[in-house]
Amino acid sequence: MPDVLRGVKIAATAVREVARGLNMTFRSMFEKPVTISYPEEKRPVRARFRGRHDLNRYENGLEKCIGCALCAAACPADAIFVEAGENTDEQRFSPGERYARVYEINMLRCIFCGYCEDACPTEAIVLGDNYELSFTDRRNAIYTKEMLLKPVPAGGQPTPQTTPPGVYTRSVPAMNNPSD
Amino acid sequence: MSKQVNLTIDNQAVTAAEGALIVDAAKKVGINIPVFCYHPKLEPAGMCRMCLVEIGRPVIDRATGAPVMEGGKPKLQFGPKLETSCTTPVSEGMVVITNSEKVKAARKDVVEFLLTSHPLDCPVCDKGGECPLQNLTLAHGPATSRFLFNEKNHNAKHVPLGDLIYLDRERCIQCGRCVRFQEKIAGDPVIGFYNRGRQMEIVTFSEPGFDSYFSGNTTDICPVGALTSADFRFGARPWEMKATASICTHCAVGCNLAFNVRREVGGKNGSPSKGGIVIKRALPRQNEAVNELWICDKGRFAYQYSESPTRLATPLVRKDGELTPASWDVALEYAAEGLLGESKPGQAKDLLVIGSGRLANEDLFTLRKLAEGAGGQAALYSQSGGGDLLAQVGAAPGTNLASLGKGSVILVVASDLHEEAPIWFLRVKQAAERGATLIVAAGRPTRLDRYAKYVIRYAYGEEAQIVAALGDSPRRAELVEAAKPAAAAKPAAAAKLVEAAKPAAAAKTVEAAKPAAAARLVEAAEAFGKAENALVFFGSDGLGQSGAQSVAQACAQLLAATRHVGRPNNGLIPVWGRANEQGGWELGLKAANLQTALQASTTAYIVAADPYGDDPSLPAPSFLVVQELFLTETARRADVVFPAQAFTERDGSFTSGERRVQRYYPATPALADCRPDYAISAELGQHLGLKLEGRSAAAIFAQIATEIPAYKGLTYRRLAETTNATAIGAAKDPRDAEERRCADLYYSGAGYENTQGLGVQLPLQTLSPALSKPAAAPAAQLSKTGLLAVPVTQLYDLGQTVLPSALLRQRIGEAWVGVNPADAAEAGIEAGAAPAAIVQVVLPGKPEWRAAARIDERTPRGVLLIPRSMGLPLNAPLPGASIRPVVRRDSQEAASQQPA
Amino acid sequence: MAEHILLRHRDIPNIDRLEVYRQQGGFEAFQKAVASLTPDAVTDIVKASGLRGRGGAGFPTGMKWSFTDRKNWPHYVVCNADESEPGTFKDREILTGNPFQLLEGVAIASYAVGARVAYIYLRGEFWPIARELDKRIAELEAAGLLGDKLFGTEYSLRIYTHLGAGAYICGEETALLESIEGKLGQPRLRPPFPPAVGLFGKPTVINNTETLANVPLILQRGAEWFRSFGTEKSPGVKIFSLSGCVNRPGNYELPLGTTFRELIMGRGGGIAYGHKIKAIMPAGNSSSLIVATDEALNTPMDYESVPKLGAQLGSASVIVIDDSVDIPWLINKTVHFFRHESCGKCTPCREGTYWMSQLTERIAAGHATAEDVALLKAVAGQIKGKCFCALGEFSIEAVLSGMDRFKDDFEAKVSSYE
Repeated sequence: MPDVLRGVKIAATAVREVARGLNMTFRSMFEKPVTISYPEEKRPVRARFRGRHDLNRYENGLEKCIGCALCAAACPADAIFVEAGENTDEQRFSPGERYARVYEINMLRCIFCGYCEDACPTEAIVLGDNYELSFTDRRNAIYTKEMLLKPVPAGGQPTPQTTPPGVYTRSVPAMNNPSD
Repeated sequence: MSKQVNLTIDNQAVTAAEGALIVDAAKKVGINIPVFCYHPKLEPAGMCRMCLVEIGRPVIDRATGAPVMEGGKPKLQFGPKLETSCTTPVSEGMVVITNSEKVKAARKDVVEFLLTSHPLDCPVCDKGGECPLQNLTLAHGPATSRFLFNEKNHNAKHVPLGDLIYLDRERCIQCGRCVRFQEKIAGDPVIGFYNRGRQMEIVTFSEPGFDSYFSGNTTDICPVGALTSADFRFGARPWEMKATASICTHCAVGCNLAFNVRREVGGKNGSPSKGGIVIKRALPRQNEAVNELWICDKGRFAYQYSESPTRLATPLVRKDGELTPASWDVALEYAAEGLLGESKPGQAKDLLVIGSGRLANEDLFTLRKLAEGAGGQAALYSQSGGGDLLAQVGAAPGTNLASLGKGSVILVVASDLHEEAPIWFLRVKQAAERGATLIVAAGRPTRLDRYAKYVIRYAYGEEAQIVAALGDSPRRAELVEAAKPAAAAKPAAAAKLVEAAKPAAAAKTVEAAKPAAAARLVEAAEAFGKAENALVFFGSDGLGQSGAQSVAQACAQLLAATRHVGRPNNGLIPVWGRANEQGGWELGLKAANLQTALQASTTAYIVAADPYGDDPSLPAPSFLVVQELFLTETARRADVVFPAQAFTERDGSFTSGERRVQRYYPATPALADCRPDYAISAELGQHLGLKLEGRSAAAIFAQIATEIPAYKGLTYRRLAETTNATAIGAAKDPRDAEERRCADLYYSGAGYENTQGLGVQLPLQTLSPALSKPAAAPAAQLSKTGLLAVPVTQLYDLGQTVLPSALLRQRIGEAWVGVNPADAAEAGIEAGAAPAAIVQVVLPGKPEWRAAARIDERTPRGVLLIPRSMGLPLNAPLPGASIRPVVRRDSQEAASQQPA
Repeated sequence: MAEHILLRHRDIPNIDRLEVYRQQGGFEAFQKAVASLTPDAVTDIVKASGLRGRGGAGFPTGMKWSFTDRKNWPHYVVCNADESEPGTFKDREILTGNPFQLLEGVAIASYAVGARVAYIYLRGEFWPIARELDKRIAELEAAGLLGDKLFGTEYSLRIYTHLGAGAYICGEETALLESIEGKLGQPRLRPPFPPAVGLFGKPTVINNTETLANVPLILQRGAEWFRSFGTEKSPGVKIFSLSGCVNRPGNYELPLGTTFRELIMGRGGGIAYGHKIKAIMPAGNSSSLIVATDEALNTPMDYESVPKLGAQLGSASVIVIDDSVDIPWLINKTVHFFRHESCGKCTPCREGTYWMSQLTERIAAGHATAEDVALLKAVAGQIKGKCFCALGEFSIEAVLSGMDRFKDDFEAKVSSYE
């Protein structure tokens, strides 16, 4: 095979390859960028993402947490600390007799395993979407109950509430079918 | 030893005492039969049906009485039904099967039944984690529920049975342990079952509710979370707490405690904790020789004084007439200078050192060393006396109230045991119920009377004479002496000789006008003389220092004369008001007359005592150093105040009334700058130029063991030794989790097992001849003018160690004075008024005092009962008292508001 | 028709008056016993008569008397007139119609066991009867037939009535003793049995009203005379309380061994409104259901034959059930009774009866599935053999037998729902 022919072939290949490459370049110039400009923009997390904990409330604003400390018992990192108190109808935080007077999570210790969520009998603690945990002081890593509690839903009352006697007598919501 | 019976449990050969229950026999060989209503300390009930087992008995041929044989083995007959192993005693040749499918199914069925009416609110239940129902459900229960959740009963969950105990009616499984405890063990049947079937519930029928000194124990034995104490309600989960062994400090019994502690952010009772260790609850720790499984409510709830926010935190030094905070160095320097005064270093001749029975052995020993080294005098702060006799006639090693029964005599002199030492009351009562002869000699009716075979009444002041009469000292002693050689050879003959000498003279020593009482006295004296074992308790009911001294002397002579000394289950037990008064006596401190002692000294160093609070008229020394927990009346007068550590913050040892040395351990870190008493004293001594050991309690105890003969050979390690030989239902190996879980069936609390020491009883010295010689009892010295005011003890008083407990404070009640109706009528006081009439009590030389009159026929004529530590300082019987009526302030106000 | 032995007021008018009763030889037996017989001799006569307890268990009465602990005194006699079994109303008729015969029976029993105090425990609803009995006891004391030093001997006897407070459980002998002592009516642990440790911790004989009412005539006319009635092993007569779907309900005093057919079809006049007999409950609420076959109807009613039908004679309160009755409905009623009357002492009865009542309620109302029926059977089986006293065990007799023998009724209920 003559050399000229070979040279033309090479040149054609080069042009083709360059064109292909440029094609990719130009194409991606008009594509939507995959990066986002965090922190102005935030990417939504996956459904099962385990971020910072939230303490849930019932619709009327009462706290779901009953201070049972089963989350603290389940925690493999010993990150949760609970101190219970006793509810009265004049000063009610949660249904039933017991509520969490002190609820603290040390986020430096937490390994976000979600065992606390599994252990909770009232679905009070859930691992939420928040992953923005940074501290400049070790003490700030301890999240208190006030920081963890979700805001009072619309139509609800903040805690402590004054409630009618004999209504909120049970800590664990009644199940119609225990297999649920 | 009782007859032994051989039986087979699950193919294991078992030997058990005749009459033992199958459940206990099985426990001995490590077979745990699940129970709810059964408790080894209670009468069996057979209610819960959890302990059902298969029982086969050998068929007996009626003609020959021999077992019928079948194939070389005795033929067995199994009942058609399962039987309860907690009510069935073992019998010869019995075969018990506890692990067959039938038995397992029965357990599953019973648990399922129990759970149908149980709320299953374990997450919020205080028992969760140490709950027999939880444990047995996991071990034997069904995995799923077939009962519809919404068909469950809903009952009240917050029923206060009293100020101290709350009931959750839903959780109750109607096992009746609490009811049986109150009825059979405490003798205080203030709770019971009401209604029937599923509506059956626990109710209290006393006013105030659940009015018993032993109520807290029901929360321990409750196998579910139905009964909870107000102290621990929602306090913490059991697995979060650590247990520390301790000893109760409130009386001379020396109950073994366990404190459950944990780290907290917010403390309780308003005390800020901010991340410190706090005590969450006090539980009894099993010691079969001391408190078995029980403690009284004072021991359970009154520990809170150690956490009181009013505790002293820094040393105080008087500057310009005011007590102002100072550093330890400054305070110690200042105190040493003041105590030394003009004298040379190492000498402070006019120094009076006072320590009380609230201190540990180590503290009292250091105080004595300090006083001796400085050339001063050391005194034990005590309103009682006679402790020096106990080294000879005290309870001999091996004494255990639980082993007293038929053939034993217990004499209780001048003591309302129920108020002074509740656990001794409980154990004496049980000994009486087992058949021991109980003699109660008191100036007024006490609660123990109803269990006594002989109740002897005396006029206050005649205590010692009555005790002497019981011994019929002169003649009986002679006879016993005469019988001595015979006694060694032929005890029966000697006994006959003693019996023949009926103490007729005894009757003459009391008023001949009361033949029935005299006859009773003679009978009691006879019973005491003949008894195999005899224990004597003497207390402080209506006694002062000198009175107690002579009573103790009379008791010692009685015991010596009847030779009830030096053997186990014999001897004298003092009912001291403080935990370690016995230790003070053993370590060479003596109760002194403070009036004269303070007069004679110019400087004083008072530790853990409040003499000026108890008697403001005492002379004041020129320089006063006080070492205390609180700013007491005495501390207010001090020139230097040292803040000491509470017993929960340090270690040490106490010597109980039974002369048992027991060790306690630090449960919480020390408050602020407080130091242990022994360390402060040692440092003060160093500032005075003395060399005292103060590095650790253990080091001082080692010194005690070398210097004090009674403590010879004792070490902290020996005090910490345990043996489970006497423990009923204890885990065979406490390190084994499965064993612990099974022990929970009876204990259901974390603090019960005693793994930290049972203590050691001190040996007795040989009896001095002086005691064996009978001495005439001193005549009553009390003049008959006016009413006689006598001090009596009330368990919940206004003492520094009770008041800080918010729970007990509400049970104290108002100050009262006991008056006979006739005396009340003479003074013009209306009986039967509600609320009780307020009277002004006038005692010669005492401040005026107002109290509610308890007009009661049981108070003797001519006597005023004045409770100790309820506002009026009275340390000894005082004649010449009077009362007069006062219009109640509220009714006065009400009257003034009404238009004229 | 033969003369009545227990229900003598039906033959002799005004026998509830002391003079009439004495004219009929009343209290001669007691006088003869006290004056001329030893206590053991009296017991032997009763033993020889073969009299068996009429309260339900059918225990030989003379044997029971001879079991009293002779080392522990005093002894007590208690007459159980706490007639609380639904369908039983025999004692009431004796107490109102022929009271002196009972009182004499109590007196003779007391003499036989050496008791100087006897109690008659009546259910709370019998308060008018108790009032009448008190008057009659006073009459007897006035007549010198009760009181101190009777008939010139050293023997003294007092009889007291004691009212319960409306609890089925107090018909159980040890619960009855607790109730007399003023405690909560709950059965006691056995052993020890009452003849060893009974009322106030002392040996006590407890007999049913009807049992004791038999005693005076046994003494008067002899054991052989008594044995001429009834069967070999169940001698004597028995009052059968007939109720339910029959034309003539009421008490019928018949010899033991009379057939069901004789009682129901003969004396009772057959089934009302032309219905057909379906089942028999021979011992009130606590008995098993017997399918009313010809064979069953021909069975003699005595302590040996009825068990062969899978039931007990018990207190012989025969409840007749006809084909208009729905068995699940009937069982619901019996279970509700036991739930209401459970004393609460033991777990299976307290919790089990409650659970069963929830299930039977649903089944009877026709809101239940086959699983519910199976569960009811399982729960009843779980109670079986685990209760503290016999009354708990009775609660499942009707349930288990009904579900076993009348399956179709239950299947019909379930299928109509499904």
